[in-house]
Amino acid sequence: MIMRAEPSADDLPDRPKVLLVDDDEVNLLLTSVALQDQGFAVTEASGGEAAIRILADWLPDIVVLDAVMPGLDGFETCRELRVLPGFESLPVLMLTGLDDDASITRAYEAGATDFFVKSTQWRLLAGRLRYLLRASRTRVELERSKSRLARAQDLARMGSFDWRRGQDGPVFSIEGLRVFGFGPGDQPAFRGLLRMVPEEERKAFLELTHSAMDRSTVLATDIHARLVDGRQRIVHIEAEPEFNEHGNLIGYTGIVQDVTDRRLAEDRIRHLANFDTLTGLPNRRQLIWRAERALEHGRRLGHEVALLLIDLDRFKIINDTLGHGAGDELLMEVSRRLRSCVRHSDQVLESSLESVGVRSHRTLEAVGRLGGDEFVALLPEVTDDDDAERVATRILEVMRKPIMIGLQECFVTASVGIAIFPRDGTTVADLLRNSDIAMYSVKSAGRNSSSLYRPNLAGKGREKLELESALHKAIERNELVLHYQPKIDVRGAKMVGAEALMRWRRHGVLVPPGDFIPLAEETGLIIPLSEWAIREAARQARIWQDNFGFADSIAVNLPSRLFERTDLVEYIHNAVTTYGVPHHAIELEITETGLMKDLQNVIPSLHRLNEIGVEISIDDFGTGYSSLAYLTTLPISELKIDRSFVRDLGMTPQSSAVVTAIIALARSLGLRVIAEGVENLRQMEVLHRLGCGIMQGFLFSKAQPPEDIELWLQQTVLPKKAPWIGQALSSDVAEPSRARESRPKPPIGKLPLA
Amino acid sequence: MSASIPTVLDADALARLRDLDPNDKTHLVERVLKAFESSSGRLAVQFKDSRARGDLQGIRHVVHTLKSSSASIGALALARICAEIETSIRAEPSADVAGALDAMDHELTAVLQAVTRMLSSPGTST
Repeated sequence: MIMRAEPSADDLPDRPKVLLVDDDEVNLLLTSVALQDQGFAVTEASGGEAAIRILADWLPDIVVLDAVMPGLDGFETCRELRVLPGFESLPVLMLTGLDDDASITRAYEAGATDFFVKSTQWRLLAGRLRYLLRASRTRVELERSKSRLARAQDLARMGSFDWRRGQDGPVFSIEGLRVFGFGPGDQPAFRGLLRMVPEEERKAFLELTHSAMDRSTVLATDIHARLVDGRQRIVHIEAEPEFNEHGNLIGYTGIVQDVTDRRLAEDRIRHLANFDTLTGLPNRRQLIWRAERALEHGRRLGHEVALLLIDLDRFKIINDTLGHGAGDELLMEVSRRLRSCVRHSDQVLESSLESVGVRSHRTLEAVGRLGGDEFVALLPEVTDDDDAERVATRILEVMRKPIMIGLQECFVTASVGIAIFPRDGTTVADLLRNSDIAMYSVKSAGRNSSSLYRPNLAGKGREKLELESALHKAIERNELVLHYQPKIDVRGAKMVGAEALMRWRRHGVLVPPGDFIPLAEETGLIIPLSEWAIREAARQARIWQDNFGFADSIAVNLPSRLFERTDLVEYIHNAVTTYGVPHHAIELEITETGLMKDLQNVIPSLHRLNEIGVEISIDDFGTGYSSLAYLTTLPISELKIDRSFVRDLGMTPQSSAVVTAIIALARSLGLRVIAEGVENLRQMEVLHRLGCGIMQGFLFSKAQPPEDIELWLQQTVLPKKAPWIGQALSSDVAEPSRARESRPKPPIGKLPLA
Repeated sequence: MSASIPTVLDADALARLRDLDPNDKTHLVERVLKAFESSSGRLAVQFKDSRARGDLQGIRHVVHTLKSSSASIGALALARICAEIETSIRAEPSADVAGALDAMDHELTAVLQAVTRMLSSPGTST
């Protein structure tokens, strides 16, 4: 025997269980035997009371009841068993006499499923029982499937409705009523339903409905509905027309479904696909889509479109030093400011704009984020270049105010490249590329500005990109070299140190520092480059020490950023230890501007460097604004007079006044003073007369490879063959004192030196 | 009235009974006849009792039961008489059914005799 958990409607149990109730022994016996013969499992009861007792703890598949019995008759028995739990839909067959119409009616009234006229044709009874069992099974399945459907519709927040012409409103299923927030029994009329739809949508919905009815077509639409309890839902309606035999429309039948969650999810997905999650601005995909639409409009209406590429200056530095969290905060604030510069529209536009009118392209206007610190402003219609440049100016202006990240004030500037359709490109890709080139030209011209694309700019951007990627590899490929420019003590006619200057030997050609140092600073590569320079200088100091007893310092230029690194001291310590030279073999040069900009962050490093014997020189001194209050307390050893003052020496009285002031300042602070960019004897004489005895410049030597410096020492300095040697010896000027300990306190205050 | 088996008990009806137990494995005919003997014996007592008291509803119940069980064993005449009495009483609770009751009593006696004979002569049921 095969056991089935749930037999289908066609499959009856192998031996259906029958409860046979008859007070007549003969009939009971015969019916029982006949049914068993036909494959039923029969349980007999000789009366109604006995039957109810048996049914108390047993459920047959079917009950056969004799109608007329003494005591509890068939009708009463049927009535009683129907109220027992689980017996509501059990098939019950009532046996009646042939001529007993009254019993037939009573049988149905008592809840019998069917009646059967007693006969001696036993097989007929068996056939009837099978039919009843099948019908009952089908009915149970139907009930089950109906409740499953109701449950499914409930879960899907779906329900059905019917409407017949002439009816005041559709007739909803219970689930359908629930979709609109009604209870079972409610009978909403059309007017009430329509009032749930927001007014601005009502007219369009009515038109759609009427047009579907006029043409007898399917109605399918989504409507917004405010339910009785105030909830706002989106309801999907789908209805099919129904026709009578003459082909006339008689009504509609359909479903309603609450699709609010699905629509919200779809909106969310669409938003995620089109908007940047950090800033909420349109992303690259959305921007390109908008730009393409804007170009279509521009083409058709014959107007210009502007694309502004906005790249933050030195954003990488902020990210590196303050962390990505701070970087993100900054990007969000920048986004807010950029939005305020255009008529930013947040609409997600995917469908055609045609319906919205001729000027609809205006809604395309937006600022979007391409990625990283790159933004784009799309101006769908500009009258001329000025129009676009005005927006660029506004962008630069809104960036001017400092951005607070935590407790730190950040100053961010941007470089903006502008490309105009159709002049600078007829596709979005062309416009993006050319605005990028224009933006790069701003970067290389010093940033914090905007520029229109010009054809002659093309190529420069790409060149720069190549340069950047090559610079990344320059260290590992050993393409970087240091050249050295001697520092000369003119009185003693001897070299008292050297400044290391970085050169990049690329494809056998030396790339000038001006071509790659700004790029290195911009990209952050300046950090590994500087670290390499420190090690290389230490290595060279050792070689010179071995070759000719060099015991002075090699000065390495460091960006102020590097001084903020807490491991700088350790790094220098490791470098000098590796090559077995003293700490003072390395001297660090920091520009006055760099020092003052980051003073608070740089000071701790300066103290620690000073403690281990590494001297600090202030480069380009006189070009920035130094706070004298700080200058007196900083652990620095040297001021380096900027070459611009040296150049004008002997030509303008002002320049010698500045140089005099610097020398006096250095002397009073107990600092060494050195002049750079000394190119002729006159400059040397003036400097010497004013009290500055240490110099560097072409007059003595240009920056050279270390081997050439050795050669120069042997062939020029030692034999005292150079013209400057005799000159210097002839004059007699006091050497600047280096008595730091006894230096007097200068006045506190901020003094512009240039 | 003669009480020979073929007239009292219908041969076709008996054949239908035998069909239910073709090889007499369960001695069905014998069991049915015995059941009839015992139940109709009980009914006969009830019948006399009800008749003596003039209880027409009691009589109606007896003839109702006897009607179908006698039809089952082929006592068609008895079944017909019972049906007539039942219909009469239902139609008119105070009907005069005395003659019919006599006929029924007489026929029942004949049927019981035939049944007894059949039970006492093995082989008749096959």
